[in-house]
Amino acid sequence: MSLAPVSAQGEKASWKQRLKAFFVERLGLEAVQSLAAKKTVPLHRCTPFYFLGGMALFLFLVQIVSGILLALYYKPSPDQAFESVRAIMTEVEFGWLIRSAHSWSANLLIGILFLHLLTTYMMRAYRRPREITWITGVLLLALFMAFGFSGYLLPWNQLAFFATRVGTAIVGVVPGIGHSLLLLARGGEEVTGDTLARFYAIHVVVLPLVTFVVLGIHLYLVQKHGMSIPERELARYGGPERVPSMPFVPHFLLRDIVGWYLALALLAALAALFPWELGEKADPFGAAPEGIKPEWYFLFMYQTLKLLPPYIAGFEGEVLGVLFFGLCGLVVLVVPFLDRGPRSRAVLNGLAAVAVAFFVVMTAWAFFPNPEQKVACIMLGTLLSFVSLTLLVPFADQRTPAYRLLIGLLGLLGLIFVGAAVWELIA
Amino acid sequence: MDTDPGSSSRRRWLLHSLQASFAATVAAICYPVLRFLRPRPATVSGAMEVVAPFRVNQLPNAPGNPFNFGGKPCLVVLTPEGEKRLARGERLQPGDIRAFNAICTHMDCTVHYRPDHGDIFCSCHNGVYDLNGHNVSGPPPRPLETYKVTLRGSPGQEEIVVSRTS
Repeated sequence: MSLAPVSAQGEKASWKQRLKAFFVERLGLEAVQSLAAKKTVPLHRCTPFYFLGGMALFLFLVQIVSGILLALYYKPSPDQAFESVRAIMTEVEFGWLIRSAHSWSANLLIGILFLHLLTTYMMRAYRRPREITWITGVLLLALFMAFGFSGYLLPWNQLAFFATRVGTAIVGVVPGIGHSLLLLARGGEEVTGDTLARFYAIHVVVLPLVTFVVLGIHLYLVQKHGMSIPERELARYGGPERVPSMPFVPHFLLRDIVGWYLALALLAALAALFPWELGEKADPFGAAPEGIKPEWYFLFMYQTLKLLPPYIAGFEGEVLGVLFFGLCGLVVLVVPFLDRGPRSRAVLNGLAAVAVAFFVVMTAWAFFPNPEQKVACIMLGTLLSFVSLTLLVPFADQRTPAYRLLIGLLGLLGLIFVGAAVWELIA
Repeated sequence: MDTDPGSSSRRRWLLHSLQASFAATVAAICYPVLRFLRPRPATVSGAMEVVAPFRVNQLPNAPGNPFNFGGKPCLVVLTPEGEKRLARGERLQPGDIRAFNAICTHMDCTVHYRPDHGDIFCSCHNGVYDLNGHNVSGPPPRPLETYKVTLRGSPGQEEIVVSRTS
């Protein structure tokens, strides 16, 4: 990547080299070039986890592009919102594809972010000096969940309307400031056209601005501190300088692009084979449709709130539930400061395992709530557990009891999944 | 890269297929996006004939003039001769009432009739047309598009039917 000045090359420099030299000189790209040349990625068992951040970034770009395209036809008013989305799906060329890509990539993005959070936690990549990288990452997850929630209302269909009513009512049970928050979120006592306008402004203006700032800090810190290497790998190789590494440009970048292609392929397949449904137009005075539930990443909270009794020890059940989830979010946010040694780490790991198990069970249960769907529920549960446990494989040393236990558990989950699938096929 | 990518033909082939794959991806993404940007089929009526929402006796300053004619503003003008004939209670002659596409040929503003000047005027850049729709001063490069006018009904109370010839 040598960049000789034009004068040294004389007439021999091709137009491409001259163009490159023109921009390098004027934009001060030497700094970027030297940064790119110096940046390396450590190679060890957990290296595949480094792809998740890049995939999330790619899906975020898909969100931006498809979101801007949708905004060209979308009309944020209760009289026109549903009709404009229907027009996008039926009249605008490839509108169904752009909308489906927007919805599916949003869901994939949240899924990838969950995995990114989990693997980052397992690698303990939040260790000093990367605490703020972790905090901005958790904030980004919260921001993208807010994107999901605010975007859900925009098509103004039955599901969206009631999900927003319930979601904002949950905010309303926060003790003390709940009602004020509810009024702020809804722009009134009820979900109306004002709510739609608010959610639209939040979805396309407020959240993107905040996200750009937080994401900017997050990416800057990742560049500043470099990739974190798990302690176990450091010990295995005997120091950070002895861990093998790979230049980021072009070696790791090309591999990153393979990750993006995987995400793109999955997204294209999902959007083309399963176009996002539109449903029926919202009827503010009609009854809530049967089987109504939120997006999958809110299901664990939804299922919990459904199961809680009206009163627990004199307190309202839903108040306790909402406070509990708020506390959980806070704990996740400050994990770097709670991890103060082997004992606190053991407690945190135990809590994390319980949290993942809780998430898996509640999501599978809420997804297939009917007793006759028990087999499907088991299949989803085993699949999610399998994915979560697979993430642990790089952390266990081969030929140890922990490794054998892990492999045994994965095998058992696989067997249950296959058994359930066969059962479902026969029945 | 320690070796020049162009040095071996196999490497060059790989590089070219990689570039071709990127180009194919970009094309596969851009094609639906460009098609998405194409305007939807028009939702306005493509009517070839419309009855003006006013009658001749309400001219020259009739409410609702210009009116919507197939998605474009249509300006109906009563000439001074026609105005005199109407005042005398005589039957209007062909050409006493004229209709134009009211979009200025300069920069797409909407023009209006100035009875005191006897011309059609565009306020955006002071474009002036005469009552035949010809551009007479200011920046407009072409005359206004003219429409055919037919009157029907009792004299002095006629309905104005505007139609496109093609």
